[in-house]
Amino acid sequence: MASFIEILIRGLMLGSVYALVGMGLTLVWGVVGIVNIAHGEFVMLGAYFAFWAFSLIHFNPFLSILISIPVFFFAGMLIHRRITERLIKEHELSALILTFGMSILIWNLAQFFWTNTYRSVPYLTGNFPILGLVFAKSKTVSFGLAVGITAALFFFLKYSKWGKAIRATSQNSEVALVCGINTMKMRMLTFGMGIALAGAAGAIVSLQWVIFPQMGGSYVSKAFAIVVLGGLGNIQGALAGGLIIGILEAVVTQYLSAKVAQIIPSVTILVILLLRPTGLFKK
Amino acid sequence: MKKKIPIWLGTVALMVFLAMIPFFASDYWITLLVLIFIFAVYASGWNLFSGLTGYTNFGLAWFIGVSGYVSSLLIADYNLPWVFAWPVGAVFISIVSIGVGYILLRIRGVYFAISMVALAEGTRELFGTEYLSPITHGGKGVPFVAGIQLSTLYWAILFIAFISLLVCYKIASSKFGLRLVAIREDEQAAETLGIHATRDKILAFILSAFFVGLAGAIHFTYQNYIDPSFAFSIHLTLTPIVMALFGGVGTVFGPFIGATLFTLIHEVLWAELTILYMAIFGGILMALILFFPQGLLGWMKEKGILPRIRKI
Repeated sequence: MASFIEILIRGLMLGSVYALVGMGLTLVWGVVGIVNIAHGEFVMLGAYFAFWAFSLIHFNPFLSILISIPVFFFAGMLIHRRITERLIKEHELSALILTFGMSILIWNLAQFFWTNTYRSVPYLTGNFPILGLVFAKSKTVSFGLAVGITAALFFFLKYSKWGKAIRATSQNSEVALVCGINTMKMRMLTFGMGIALAGAAGAIVSLQWVIFPQMGGSYVSKAFAIVVLGGLGNIQGALAGGLIIGILEAVVTQYLSAKVAQIIPSVTILVILLLRPTGLFKK
Repeated sequence: MKKKIPIWLGTVALMVFLAMIPFFASDYWITLLVLIFIFAVYASGWNLFSGLTGYTNFGLAWFIGVSGYVSSLLIADYNLPWVFAWPVGAVFISIVSIGVGYILLRIRGVYFAISMVALAEGTRELFGTEYLSPITHGGKGVPFVAGIQLSTLYWAILFIAFISLLVCYKIASSKFGLRLVAIREDEQAAETLGIHATRDKILAFILSAFFVGLAGAIHFTYQNYIDPSFAFSIHLTLTPIVMALFGGVGTVFGPFIGATLFTLIHEVLWAELTILYMAIFGGILMALILFFPQGLLGWMKEKGILPRIRKI
């Protein structure tokens, strides 16, 4: 029987990864106005990137994140430039159905090329004790990475020139355009960042859990729950939402069952949308 | 009035021909037609609500799965004949949809779509948990035999497809249909004109649930098997949407054309490319949104090949 503190810490570590996925989704949704259902598939691709880098050339998974982030960033920009930018002026549901198709396309291709085998990255296995509590090494390092990436994202959005421009585009795209901000470029940049966040989260995920082509679905449903919890486009809200979902999952898994924990995202989405559709934290 | 007689004659002739098929066609063709009609009802049921009101239902599998479970469990555990089990399943999902529609239909746009996905996914997980397994048999599924002949099943689904087509046709040319389209175009403006938007949306939602649920019950009887991941699979939501999009969203006959075409494509591709088949479907969905958003019938109406009326 694990102590409650241990469960809480486990939840926080889970939540830090979920928050990365959720922040990417909320960023793209808030700034670009595209609801990317295929977001979870990029988590899956990020996990496979780390897996293949490790198993083919024994590349350190933590270092491979440094490569996968720019790769996913540029891939995301390309996808937006070629496909989703066309739908900016269309009804938002067109983008929803399009990314739904993209999601199906990506995970089935992954299944076709990489088969349904469950895989994992056996790196940094083992535990270490602190103050009488036992921690898995890989999860602790992953937690540090997730926190680092989150902090970098906050600083970028808050203090850099581009970050300011992105926030301006999010607040009012037309006024931002009049003020001389290239909003199309900002949308492209944001989409790239969202995909890069998903890819980074995927790499971190690959160190802790099994990876398989259909894994994206569970992450995207958690990401939607996080966006709904935190409020659309609210990055801080997404961080808090991610931690809440993580802790809830850890607690429910411990005291009820892992199967029941799977229902948390769906229930969260339904309850929050009905009771407090602006999210828990008003901007 | 003169023009109407040949259309009615043609319809009757086609129905008689379709009804006669089990007497001369092989089981393979009957099976194929059964699937075509099942998916035609799914697609037109999706279109009846989402195509007319503009509320994208991403949880069509929820209608199918819940109704399928109710009817399958009645057949498997309570030995109820299929004649009663199917309508009970469909009526059950319709009644549940009144409540769900009343609650969820106040959520608009993308949020409604997501909440429907959440509903379908949540129900799937719920039906697979150990807590509900005394009723649902958990995640391992329920195999059952309804004792129905293939030809009887064929006539049943043919009849239901015909009725649902008739209902869609009547609705499209009715004031009710016009009110739904007004809601799609601008819900607030429609309400200021005195349209009771919530009531009309819920009514369309229930009608959609009833027909899709009925076809769902038949679908699982035809498969002789049900389990949560199959009953609520994303595939059952996606395929009808692709079919309706291809045929033309908001048209009456579009979903039927789409269902016929894509079931045949499925039949050809499935055997050859089992895994790539779904990927191709996803690709087609993307291409449809990007290059062909109005669908086949919408395109033909735009080009003037078909008259621009809501009845088609």
